[in-house]
Amino acid sequence: MPQESSPEKSDVWQGTLALMVLKTLNALGPLHGYGIARRIEQTSENLLSINHGTLYPVLLKLEQEGSIDSEWGVSENNRKAKFYRITKSGKKELTAAEREWQRANDIMARFSALKGESA
Amino acid sequence: MKGLRRNLKRLLSSLSREKYDMADELQSHIEMQAEDNLRAGMPPEEARRQARLKFGGLDSVKESYRDQRGLPWLETTFADLRYAARGLRKSPAFTTVAVLTLAIGIGANTAIFSLVNQLLLHPPGIDHPERVVGVRTRYLKINLEFNGSSSSNLPDLRSSTNVFERAAISQRADLNYADGPAPERLRGAMVSAEWFDVFGAKPLIGRVFTAQEDQPNLNRVAVLSYGSWTRVFGADPNVIGRVVQLNQTPYQIVGIMRADFELPWNTDVWTPIGLEPQLYSPQNRFNESFFLAARLKPGVSFDQGQAWMQVLTDRVYNSGTPGAAIAKNGNWSISLVHFTDDSAGDNKSAVVLLLGAVALVLLIACSNIAGLMVARTSVRARELAVRVALGASRSRLLRQMLSESLLLAITGGAIGLVFAAGAVRLVLHLAPENAVAGLNSSLDVYVMLFCAGATIASAVLFGVTPAWQVSRADLQGSIKMEGRTNTSDSGRQRLRSLLVVGETALALALLMAAGLFLRSFLRLQTVNPGFNPKGVMTAMYRLPLAQYAGGRDQANFNRALLANLRAGSGVIATGLGYPAPFSGDNEAGSFQIEGQVLAPDDPGPHGNRRFISPGYMEALGIPLKRGRYFTDQDRIDAERVTIIDEDLARQYWPTEDPLGKRIRMGGNGAPWLTVVGIVGHVMDSSLASDSGKGVYYFSLFQRSIPGATIVVKTSGDPNLMTGVIQDAVRTADPHQAVHTFGTMDYYISRSLDTRRFGMRLLGFFGVVALFLAALGLYGVISYSVAQRTREIGIRMALGAEHRSVLALVVGQGFRLAAAGVAIGIAGAALMGRYFESQLFQVRSSDPLTIFATAGALLGAGLLASYLPARRAVRVDPAVTLRTD
Repeated sequence: MPQESSPEKSDVWQGTLALMVLKTLNALGPLHGYGIARRIEQTSENLLSINHGTLYPVLLKLEQEGSIDSEWGVSENNRKAKFYRITKSGKKELTAAEREWQRANDIMARFSALKGESA
Repeated sequence: MKGLRRNLKRLLSSLSREKYDMADELQSHIEMQAEDNLRAGMPPEEARRQARLKFGGLDSVKESYRDQRGLPWLETTFADLRYAARGLRKSPAFTTVAVLTLAIGIGANTAIFSLVNQLLLHPPGIDHPERVVGVRTRYLKINLEFNGSSSSNLPDLRSSTNVFERAAISQRADLNYADGPAPERLRGAMVSAEWFDVFGAKPLIGRVFTAQEDQPNLNRVAVLSYGSWTRVFGADPNVIGRVVQLNQTPYQIVGIMRADFELPWNTDVWTPIGLEPQLYSPQNRFNESFFLAARLKPGVSFDQGQAWMQVLTDRVYNSGTPGAAIAKNGNWSISLVHFTDDSAGDNKSAVVLLLGAVALVLLIACSNIAGLMVARTSVRARELAVRVALGASRSRLLRQMLSESLLLAITGGAIGLVFAAGAVRLVLHLAPENAVAGLNSSLDVYVMLFCAGATIASAVLFGVTPAWQVSRADLQGSIKMEGRTNTSDSGRQRLRSLLVVGETALALALLMAAGLFLRSFLRLQTVNPGFNPKGVMTAMYRLPLAQYAGGRDQANFNRALLANLRAGSGVIATGLGYPAPFSGDNEAGSFQIEGQVLAPDDPGPHGNRRFISPGYMEALGIPLKRGRYFTDQDRIDAERVTIIDEDLARQYWPTEDPLGKRIRMGGNGAPWLTVVGIVGHVMDSSLASDSGKGVYYFSLFQRSIPGATIVVKTSGDPNLMTGVIQDAVRTADPHQAVHTFGTMDYYISRSLDTRRFGMRLLGFFGVVALFLAALGLYGVISYSVAQRTREIGIRMALGAEHRSVLALVVGQGFRLAAAGVAIGIAGAALMGRYFESQLFQVRSSDPLTIFATAGALLGAGLLASYLPARRAVRVDPAVTLRTD
């Protein structure tokens, strides 16, 4: 059965996955790895394709840095799963990163708004 | 910050080795996806397949997870160490021998270093010892140099604030303490106010002296040492503020020093010196009866301080005072000496030599272990070859070899540290008291660092040979050869042989050094000290000046004491004298010869001087050459007389008869003394060397002194004279303490203590080295016999006799030992120059010593190769031919 593979699907840029994870956990509260992966895909309206496996090294790194916490729990379908939660320092990290991105976006937007002279 | 936290977490994960639950988590992820897929209508098989696809490569995720989770390099290292530990556990014999050898080597080095550290580098109780200096005085013209200084140098040093932070003088002044059950002598030091600050020493309880108290008549305060506080005052903290009678004068105790500070000598009690101001004036420049110590300012080097002393010396030369002439005539100068060098004295070269010896032992131990490891590698050659074939890189194998070396070294080092703690205690217990006074057995941080350094150095030393061998060996060959003798194996055997030759050479050098010191020691014991110590008991007393201020009072006491001694039962001869030979004290001074006209820059005659009573020379058996001894008639109201020794006679009356000639000391106006006797020269403080200075003797009853050594000669056991001496002193004055009892034989023997102890330690290290070298040879020959079992079997099957097989094997061992001995003799000849100055009447190329040590090593070598050879001839040819 074919996946909805459209040519416009983007790969995740390096380093942005961590931000997406933090943002997702901040907005939705504790989630397990599969839940996070699904949410990221849904949020990007399936424009992003991620190999779910790549999520786990990112989660480990965030946990080692103290931005998230984890705890074993039971999923909605009664399955044992590890739930991740954003920490206080993770929230701070997120705010800072969002500001960075916003600025980068603004700059890019100004460049995009330039009118070509010989257009 | 974030990165740091993360690395810390990774480090912890690597160290904890907790089992992690990643596999469960990933599994649950895939199953959740599969369930969702199932709900979306896929058939079960397809649902699971798609879930796995969506997840990506499970193994690569796991791997990158693992890499990120901990620190991979650290985990590899751990894995190597675990692997090494397993390997070592599998060969317990090798591991035990290697670890114990190392532990002995490292332990002995650490123990000796602990002595070096305390004696020379970081003596206990002194803050920044490298900045503490003593002042020496030298009169180059009369060949006189000593560690004394004049009090008038103190103001000069104290005002040199550009160079010195603190400076203080001290003078020995023993005190009688009579409040206890029996009169007791306390070893006292009179010190100027800053004495304790020079060494950075702080009191345990109470305080030290103020500048106020360092003045005449205000100095009736005392600081106790920890030792005397516990011994005499029962460690009572309320002793502070108490007034005690010292020399029948009241002193208030104001402080107690910590146990690690007893300077300048093994001091029991310190009092302020309280000198009259004129004693600090330049007029007192050449009265060197004080010890002057100073602390260099931070940032001022020793050399800068030394240069400043030249400035101070020049100042005296250019002062235009009468002192300038004296300084010029004697070619006087003052200079600095490192306090630690000064206090270590003779022990310095001894401990440095021992450190060298013990380093050789470690070197031998390391080459032994290297040999064992080379043998081990050849046993493991197949295993290594298989691992290379399976894709292990050479650097990986090298890393593993080094891990094994490191693990061995660390284990050996740890056990060595425990050994060292015991060894230091043992050494301090066995060593002569005067050589190790004030040292303690605790291992400080410098010693720990040294131990760690020695451990790592050892790992490198014995790890590098087998590692180098692995890195270049033809490992493929090992697989093909099916474990039989092959070419790379003979290379290994050659390497081990080289190691053994080296070991033997080192052991020979070490044994030879020990032998040379033994020969020196035996020679020394035959030296005639110039007197007969047999049956002589000695003891000391010092009269307090408060009660015995005048010469007449002192003379009266001395006369009464002498009469009591003579009446003692068993006494053959007796006398009083100061300073007694081998007591460690000395007195010297210039004198004038009647009628001699000196050139303007001639400092005049100079010699050691002694104050003795009648009977002293008879009791000590100092031979009279001409003239007469002192008698009871040589009193203050009779003709002033002196006795000189042959050295002085030769030096100042080379062509004349000195008998009847007159000399005087103390300048014009002093009375002339007539030379009435010439006696033999007495060695002063050492059998090994003599100052070469002539001696002149005063009669104690013509020139009185407030204390002396009592000498009593008896035909029986001199120790029985203790009671006689005590009774004699008590009868003369019941308050007077008498102390430091000891036979003359004991003092002479004590002067050899340091040498005897150094010789024994060196001998011990030599024997250890011999044993280790023999062990190394044994290992090589055993291995070679094992490798040649087949060959030997064939030889014997063909009719070779036991004798010829024995000769074959023993000959191989003997050749190695002989090569080592030859190299060792050459090496020892070079090395000998460095310690020849410490030998006595023995050249470093002493043939007897060379012969004996070479014989010992060759003998040990023969024994070490005979044992495996005997095993070889017991081999049953039929069996060996079938095996392999």
